[in-house]
Amino acid sequence: MRKEFVGAVAAALVGFSSLAAASGSVTFGVQAPITGKYANEGQGIAKAVKLLAKQQNADGGLNGKMIKVQVCDDEGKATQAALCARRLANAGVFAVIGSYTSGAASAAQPIYARANIIQTSDGTADELTKRGFKTFFRNAPPNSAEAKFTGKYLVKGKGYKKIAIISDHSSFAKGLGDAVETAVKAEGGNVLARAYINSGSQDFTSVLTDLKSKNPDVIYFSGYYSDGGLLRSQEAQLGMNVPFVGGDANQNVAFAKIAGSAAKGSVIINVPAPENLPYPAAKQFLAAYKKAYDALPPSIYTLTNADGMRVIMKAVEQTKSLDPVKVMSYMHNKVDNFQGITGPITFSKTGERIGSAFQAFEVQADGSYKTVYPADAASS
Amino acid sequence: MRTVFYRWIGPAIWIIGLGVPLVLGPNWISILSIFSIYAVVALSQDIVLGRAGMFDMGHAVYFGVGAYTTAILNTVYGWPILWTMVPAVVLAALVGGLLAAPIVKLRGDYLLVATIGISQIFHLVMVNNVAGMTGGPDGIFGIGVPSIFGYQIVSQSGLFLVGWLLLGVVLLLMNNLENSRLGRVFRYLKEDELAATTLGVNARYYKIVAFALGAGVAGSAGTLLASQLAVVSPGAFVFTESVTLFAIVLVGGQASIPGVLLGTVLMFVVPQVFRELAQYRYFVFGIAMIVVMVIRPQGIWPRRRRIE
Amino acid sequence: MSEFAQQLVNGLTVGGIYALIALGYTMVYGILKLINFAHGDLCVLGAFIGLTVITSMGGATGSPAAWVVGLAFVVAIVAISCAGALLEFAAYRPLRNAHRLSAVVSALGASMMIENGIMLIWSPQTLVFPQGILPSKSWHIAGVVITFTQLLIIVVSFVLMAALYLYVNRTRFGTAIRAAAIDQDAARLMGINVNRVIVSVFILGPALGAIGGLFIGLYYRQAVFNMGWTYGLNAFIAAIIGGIGNIPGAMLGGLLLGLFNALAAGYISSTWQQAITFGLLIAILLIRPSGILGERVAEKV
Repeated sequence: MRKEFVGAVAAALVGFSSLAAASGSVTFGVQAPITGKYANEGQGIAKAVKLLAKQQNADGGLNGKMIKVQVCDDEGKATQAALCARRLANAGVFAVIGSYTSGAASAAQPIYARANIIQTSDGTADELTKRGFKTFFRNAPPNSAEAKFTGKYLVKGKGYKKIAIISDHSSFAKGLGDAVETAVKAEGGNVLARAYINSGSQDFTSVLTDLKSKNPDVIYFSGYYSDGGLLRSQEAQLGMNVPFVGGDANQNVAFAKIAGSAAKGSVIINVPAPENLPYPAAKQFLAAYKKAYDALPPSIYTLTNADGMRVIMKAVEQTKSLDPVKVMSYMHNKVDNFQGITGPITFSKTGERIGSAFQAFEVQADGSYKTVYPADAASS
Repeated sequence: MRTVFYRWIGPAIWIIGLGVPLVLGPNWISILSIFSIYAVVALSQDIVLGRAGMFDMGHAVYFGVGAYTTAILNTVYGWPILWTMVPAVVLAALVGGLLAAPIVKLRGDYLLVATIGISQIFHLVMVNNVAGMTGGPDGIFGIGVPSIFGYQIVSQSGLFLVGWLLLGVVLLLMNNLENSRLGRVFRYLKEDELAATTLGVNARYYKIVAFALGAGVAGSAGTLLASQLAVVSPGAFVFTESVTLFAIVLVGGQASIPGVLLGTVLMFVVPQVFRELAQYRYFVFGIAMIVVMVIRPQGIWPRRRRIE
Repeated sequence: MSEFAQQLVNGLTVGGIYALIALGYTMVYGILKLINFAHGDLCVLGAFIGLTVITSMGGATGSPAAWVVGLAFVVAIVAISCAGALLEFAAYRPLRNAHRLSAVVSALGASMMIENGIMLIWSPQTLVFPQGILPSKSWHIAGVVITFTQLLIIVVSFVLMAALYLYVNRTRFGTAIRAAAIDQDAARLMGINVNRVIVSVFILGPALGAIGGLFIGLYYRQAVFNMGWTYGLNAFIAAIIGGIGNIPGAMLGGLLLGLFNALAAGYISSTWQQAITFGLLIAILLIRPSGILGERVAEKV
């Protein structure tokens, strides 16, 4: 009974969206936090999408149709995300880029799924691809993949015996911290301490002083760069000489600036940094972004979201169709090592981005990155 | 004549709202269905703040208790959504009463700070996944939709009607409260606690009742929110959400049903309409809040002074 | 033991900052019974203005001269004092005779306006204070590390608090402030210009807050548009712990809150640090319903 009803609604909406497609334009939605705590990231995503649309339109559009962009501010909140999703669905968008946070992305998922709108998000919570939504494509690697690599690096690569893990209370950081804890244990390593900071509270000396007395071999931090840079500098301030390893969200030019002279020697684990991305598409896109907005993208997630949109456009061109079912099927089955800005892209059957190459890189004195692990990536 | 007008203004707004989606199109259905949920929470905040006069800045907690109750009962134990509303209301009321019991003796701003504390602790408890039931910072996914007589209500307009129905029930409740002994006791407590106590009113007891009642009503809205969003996460019940609820009551007008409804419109619907302002939105909105208060210090639609 | 002493230093530094900000809350509350929720955002605005002064005077690279840092403080203090007075005039004065929660909503609106205004002017990025604005010297005493910045914050905040205390308690205008806090009407009858007192409080509080905000930026070397809310809330709680409306109370509350946070995170659990702090706060309120040092002013009945 339920299936039929959902099906009927979906069919009606598909009819609606293909109707919109018959006109001279196709609309891409952006659902991102334009205001609030994550405004920085959300505005970056919106800018990247607008830039891509402009570029594509200058080349004659998508299958001859001009791309329009509609942005909806979800403030990084689930409630607003649901409203945005309905709003974009009602506006007849073909696909949606976003949202930045896992929570906002997940609240919107069922709405896009019912309306048969393709959604691509960087949300890293593992749950996102486990719910069976055919419309959802994750454009950044999930926490679990990163955690596995991190566990291997910490235990096998560096041979750390006593590992301290610090997270903040956000969905992303706690999830990644938990996953790393599991991965370290799976590798036979020992988690000495699990500590939390309040993101944005800026004073982490008390947590660090406590850890200092426990004498860990390494501190792993799963949260964001603004806090990570401070942790690193306060570590130095307290005279602690414990290696610092940060998760992917520490990868931001501001990390080194905030940590100051203490930044040198910190290790960050992620796919290669925007400015270090070896791919030609990356260099072109970064140059265009810099030219258009006179700033670099706030983080790697601006680029993974841009990649999500690029894959969708590619699939539309290849299938010569704006039928979401065909496009999604192409994305699930035919996209194979698509040359993304952030590296090769392939999607699993559940919409997971697979085969991302994680690296550990060390921050140099001048703030640049040097790949140190795995060994084959470091030597190349 | 004016009394009649006052009494009917709530139902009138309710009926007009019912017709709005027909006129204004599908975007309004989703906005208004979320509006109905927030209006219910705002009315419940008004019971504590506007009617009983207690500065509660942690009201989103009870909203959250309701939402989490529904989420857990539905996803783990497979309860139908509408059935979960009963335990959601009961549990929220219980939590409201229990948390209020020790702190209602605090005066004004001290009570306000204590409720802020409760709201921060609640958030941390949900985020840290206590008892392994709340799903941590991600929250709980995959909550179902309500069903009536075996029909799943999936469509936007269906969910809108369910929300609007709840709002109708709560409006009736508020109307009854307005004219009941309990409502009058709350008012005495707010106006002059000392006098009320000398008249034999057990102030502490009635204050706890106000909290429990407000919390229970908020819990019912929580059930609908969980089902509307299909996801419940701690972020929806943080301190700033409580602050918004607090502001809704004051912007609209304390202890005034049409005031609170208008306050919800201003604080919740208006930002939806001004999405086009993008990053300027909350800058403008902040200024608007100041301007509204300066022009209408008692709220947009203050409670009419009645001779008792 | 050295760990405890280190936590003490950590706690005192942040406590000093909380106290500077808390003074702004408590003075306004003492006179107007208004929780000025925009105060935290004003302090953060001070940090952004100070940073702009430093970077535009060549402090972006290397160590700027001491007078540049001094100028940054002066500009921030002047700008934020003006902003405070303006806020009082535009958002709070028209509401002086209304229900006192009306002004609270106005303050919430002002907070939203300032926070988003900062975002619009300085971008939503986390701005970084360049390294080397202040000397990076530090001392190691018996296993305890104290940096120049920490020492500066602790010393300056104590000096400012003492100065304010003396000003309010020993000068004629200070007496007027205290009189207005106890009974505005009586103060007016005694020939005190209450309006002037109120404006002065909205200048003094933000001035101290601007110093606190700039300290935050210099100590943590970063500023982000939305951090005012966190600091504002903490400072407000500090004021409440000490007994709101009570100037020494705000100082004590700020220092205690800083210490609570440090010791709770260090010794009990960093996971539950906030819950412990708030739990303790509620406990203090239940035992001492009007803060540790008590309110200075009796509630008007």
